[in-house]
Amino acid sequence: MSLFGATSGFSTGGTSMFVSTTADNHNPMKDIEVTSPPDDSISCLAFSPPTLPGNFLIAGSWANDVRCWEVQDNGQTIPKAQQMHTGPVLDGCWSDDGSKVFTASCDKTAKMWDLNSNQAIQIAQHDAPVKTIHWIKAPNYSCVMTGSWDKTLKFWDTRSPTPMMTLQLPERCYCADVVHPMAAVATAERGLIVYQLENQPSEFRRIESPLKHQHRCVAIFKDKVNKPTGFALGSIEGRVAIHYINPPNPAKDNFTFKCHRSNGTNTSAPQDIYAVNGIAFHPVHGTLATVGSDGRFSFWDKDARTKLKTSEQLDQPISACCFNHNGNIFAYASSYDWSKGHEFYNPQKKNYIFLRNAAEELKPRNKK
Amino acid sequence: GGGWTNQTTNQRYTNVIQPSTFKSNTWGGSRDQGRGFFGSSDFGSSGGSSSSRNADFSQNRFSSLMNSQNIADGYKDEEERLLECVVKDMETWESSGQWALSSYSPMEKKPNVSGFSDFSPEELRLEYYNCRANNNIQNYINSVQQLVKQWKSQLLQLKTLNASTKAALLSELKNTAAQSLPSFGFGGQQTSSTGMPTFPVNSSSSSASNFSFKTSSSLVSASSGNTPAFGSSSGGFSLPAFGVTPSPSASHAAGFGSSTTPSAASFSFKTSETSSGFGASGFSGFGSSSGNSSGNASLTAFGSFNAAPSHPSSGQTASAFGHSITSTVSAVTNTAISEKLFTPKSELSAEELKQFEGKKFTMGKIPLKPPPLELL
Repeated sequence: MSLFGATSGFSTGGTSMFVSTTADNHNPMKDIEVTSPPDDSISCLAFSPPTLPGNFLIAGSWANDVRCWEVQDNGQTIPKAQQMHTGPVLDGCWSDDGSKVFTASCDKTAKMWDLNSNQAIQIAQHDAPVKTIHWIKAPNYSCVMTGSWDKTLKFWDTRSPTPMMTLQLPERCYCADVVHPMAAVATAERGLIVYQLENQPSEFRRIESPLKHQHRCVAIFKDKVNKPTGFALGSIEGRVAIHYINPPNPAKDNFTFKCHRSNGTNTSAPQDIYAVNGIAFHPVHGTLATVGSDGRFSFWDKDARTKLKTSEQLDQPISACCFNHNGNIFAYASSYDWSKGHEFYNPQKKNYIFLRNAAEELKPRNKK
Repeated sequence: GGGWTNQTTNQRYTNVIQPSTFKSNTWGGSRDQGRGFFGSSDFGSSGGSSSSRNADFSQNRFSSLMNSQNIADGYKDEEERLLECVVKDMETWESSGQWALSSYSPMEKKPNVSGFSDFSPEELRLEYYNCRANNNIQNYINSVQQLVKQWKSQLLQLKTLNASTKAALLSELKNTAAQSLPSFGFGGQQTSSTGMPTFPVNSSSSSASNFSFKTSSSLVSASSGNTPAFGSSSGGFSLPAFGVTPSPSASHAAGFGSSTTPSAASFSFKTSETSSGFGASGFSGFGSSSGNSSGNASLTAFGSFNAAPSHPSSGQTASAFGHSITSTVSAVTNTAISEKLFTPKSELSAEELKQFEGKKFTMGKIPLKPPPLELL
């Protein structure tokens, strides 16, 4: 039975070699383990666009590498290729035609990896580590957008070493998302800016942060006619804000919810509060996934304002997540995220990427 | 399905939001717990475009009902609630194990409270990796200890809130318009390179018709007066973050575990050669069978333009904060974190003085001595 087909059916027969059966807690959800995971913490995951047949996954890591696997329908993962930076890789993305992968690194550069030739070239330069990278495909232009700790947002034609445009940020870029024609960037010191990308990128609005603490991850969501309409913003304080850009009633339509905390909601004892490391929206259902330092992932329906599922707790944080192009696969990475400082860093501890069938579990609450 | 926690049957009812009819202007903090975890839209308008309603929240609520005396009392209630919120947030922060090196604001539309600066886990981690490569992990440890100490001290000040701290805090939080903001208009500081491929000019420059969130008027909204304050105002509120006698166990605060002696020796930056499936032999790339998976980053594209900015040589990834680790920091490594409270200016290097005079520290340059008396 196809693992990633429409009917969920986790066939353990053919895939048992990839699933740990030991008593340890590294894979309590018994999800598919991607083979040959990186040797240090995974910072980013991204699946290939629908223009490529099949599914290809890339992961960037603190071992300075970005790896690419083919993910077959039966769950088998085949390592395909790898590229290196001279510093940890912080982000990666695909071009819309699936022929290129763009990577952003602490070595202050971004690279373009041509998968057909397996060659990578530098396409961007910053004065500080590059934290985010996104491919922009507009009707009348295409470019790469990089966000850096040097407090700039730069836009690159991959054929030129000079950026097409540089926009100043109020602070270090911490996270970003692009769903054309909208871009959302969150910075240090609780900065939050939305850009419009039509014709050329320009700042659309600065937004006061709906969260009290450090911004960590952001993901744009779309409305019923598939236009970007708002974003979800996660912080280090176990909380996500849902923010619409132009809602009919902001006071009612925008809200925050707590997540990635221990002890549930009914306790007088102080909770443990964990960072939200990643947010991803299901491309079909519009529901969302969050992953946290607590080593759990959760699925949410922001319209019904309910939680759909929460996983068991993994034995290390979940550092990144993503959906594939049709929402059948949810990938999440189990890696130390530095949330407790250097003492809890064990370079010997294995890092994992897990794959889960996401077709059923992310259906919205009121539709079945 | 196996593996899910047993909450799903109850989820629906505990998590569905109860629409709030009472608009509280506090964040609720740990008080939220009884209400299910969806914090209501309890902090007023968060939609940016409607923020022309810039007035003090309490005015809107009370002005039509009360005389001026009661309005003053209303303000007092709001202030007290704000302070309560801060204290509660500090208590939570101290006990939750959440990331310490974070900015903080008690509510939307309030500036960041001074004394709390953002350092992300990735910035710290990069600093560690760089120090490790330079065999200088103690530098990293000292820097982080210093930051955590400052955080702890600031948190305690706000948690206990004596009269002067209270006054200073309120003054800072009210001072939204006067914050020193970066002067960016809409459109930001754009620079386009000339002569290089630029964005095609489109004659129809109408507002984004594909935008789901187009505004009726121009894109410049009235929220420019509400841009968040980045960094604290120089006046108003300065807590003596130093001058607090370090506690005997000056080890890591909550969230950072117990301090252990670092083993700077014998780590391994494991590379990928050992992993199966990757490497020069025996794997199929896309199309080309060169299998050349590493180090082929040809920079010919940049070489031919002659305008390529220099990039860091391999192995010397610069520190996370835009400056490589200076010798200033290593020079003071031998000085243990001093027990004295002040350092005479004459004993500070130019760089250390600059750090103390700045609004916040730059990672990699954090002075390990206490500040001079003059700068408190």
